[in-house]
This record gives sequence, C-alpha cells and structure tokens, in this order.
Amino acid sequence: MNNLNETIKRVLSDENDVRTATAPYQAEFPYEREEEAQVTRREFCNFLGFTSAALFLGAGGFAAKAALDARKSESFAAIQINGAESLAPNQSLNFNYPAAGDSAILVRTADGAYHAYGQKCTHLACPVYYAREHQRLECPCHEGAFDAKTGNVLYGPPPRPLETIELEVRDGQVYAIGRTTSSKEHADI
Amino acid sequence: MQLAEQRRQKNMQTSKDRSNAGHAAVWQARLIMLVMINIAQLWILAATVDAALARHYSVLLPLVIASGICFVITLSIIKWWRPTSRRKTSTGYVREPN
Repeated sequence: MNNLNETIKRVLSDENDVRTATAPYQAEFPYEREEEAQVTRREFCNFLGFTSAALFLGAGGFAAKAALDARKSESFAAIQINGAESLAPNQSLNFNYPAAGDSAILVRTADGAYHAYGQKCTHLACPVYYAREHQRLECPCHEGAFDAKTGNVLYGPPPRPLETIELEVRDGQVYAIGRTTSSKEHADI
Repeated sequence: MQLAEQRRQKNMQTSKDRSNAGHAAVWQARLIMLVMINIAQLWILAATVDAALARHYSVLLPLVIASGICFVITLSIIKWWRPTSRRKTSTGYVREPN
C-alpha cells in the first residue's frame, strides 16, 4: 500500500525532471521552486489594481500631453520646393517639410493641380508613394490607399487622412507654407 | 450519542466545504471582473493614443473619464466587494462559533 502511494506521488509530482541548481547564476537567485510558482489571489488582485491605475494614468497623461500640444501654435516657414515647377502632370516629387527629417510628397495630378502630404502613412508610418496607374497614394506595407486630391483614406487600415501640406505658388515657384492634420479638402492651386 | 456527534461533525464539514467553495467562487468572480476591466482600460488607452495622434481633442476627455470610472470600479472591487467572512459579519461583529 505504501509503495502504491509513493508511486502515485512520484508520478503526479512535478519535481521529477528538475535539474540541480549548479550554474553560478542559479546560485545567485536562490528562489525555491514552490515559492517562485506561488502567486496568491490577493497578490494577483493587487497587481490588477496597479495595472488599472497605470492604464488610467497613461490615458490621462496622453490626453494631457495632447491638450498641451494643442495650445502651442506651430509656426512653419515657407520653403520653396525645388523642381516642382517642372513636374509633369500625374507625377510626384519627394521633399522635406517642415524639418529636414520630415519627408513629404508633392503630387501633381492629371488636371495639373499640386497637392502635398506628409509621407508617413497614418497606420504604421510607412512611407506612402504615388501610384501613377491608379492616381492615388498607396502604402506598400499594409495596402492602404489615400486620395491624391484630398489625402482622405480610400481603403485599407489607415485610420485617418494624411497630413496635408499647404502650398502656394509665387512667381511660378511652388512653396510649402504650412501643415495641417485635418481631413478637410484643401483648395487646388 | 456517538452517532449523533459524528453526524454533527459531518454536517459541519459539509457546511465548511460549501462555504469554502463559495468563497473561492467569489474570489474568482472578482478576479475575472478585474481582468475584464483591465482589458477594457487597455482598449480605452489605445483609443486615447489614437485620438491624441489624430488630434481629435473632443474625445480625449470622455476617454479619460471612462478610464477613471473603470479604475474606480476596480478600486471598489478590491476594497469593498469582498467575500463574506466566516468569522465576521458585514458590520464587523464576530460571529458565534458553531
């Protein structure tokens, strides 16, 4: 009977294939196996409480930062887009605006109008390109597409329109003069 | 007499087992509710980040309030929605031993 009990205990035990703690790093972390596995309901409950607090603070922090950013008025310098004047209809040109590291794309649609957008896809920030055959801006990463005239999402995973770069023509030269993130259609120039 | 004592002890044991099962059930229900609320808060946080990046400021405050309500519910579950104690009543009186 005792043998049977021992056999059952040995079969059901989870201590069968445990290696001996011989490595130096194992000696430095002398946690008991049972102690390590033990998480009480109360500890788990407290962990969920702290997680809830952290998520609440995170949401509040993001909202506060966005509200602070909204109060700041961004000022953009006007810069000339080199080569824009010689851009043929249904072609595109890359440039940087407003900073040197902010890539943007200038599109001249088939009707001759200029439109410019920030090149970051609003889904996961892949660079969009102008697909001439479809006359729209496409994101190669997840097959999103944007209207070349408005920047609005045509299909795919992007949740919002592209950032619009405001343009102005002075003496035949095209200038970028500002940036907006609204979905409103901008005027053709 | 001995039979009656055995029966009484057996009844007590059964009662204790049921009480333990109920106690565990309440704990599990609490934990499940807390996990569900955490998931909802995670979703709210994702929506907040997306709204902040899209500069849709009008929805930020409702989202933060929703997250705060979830946190208050979490606190209330942790602090007040406890399983009934076998030793104390809800008003703090110590129960008579059986």
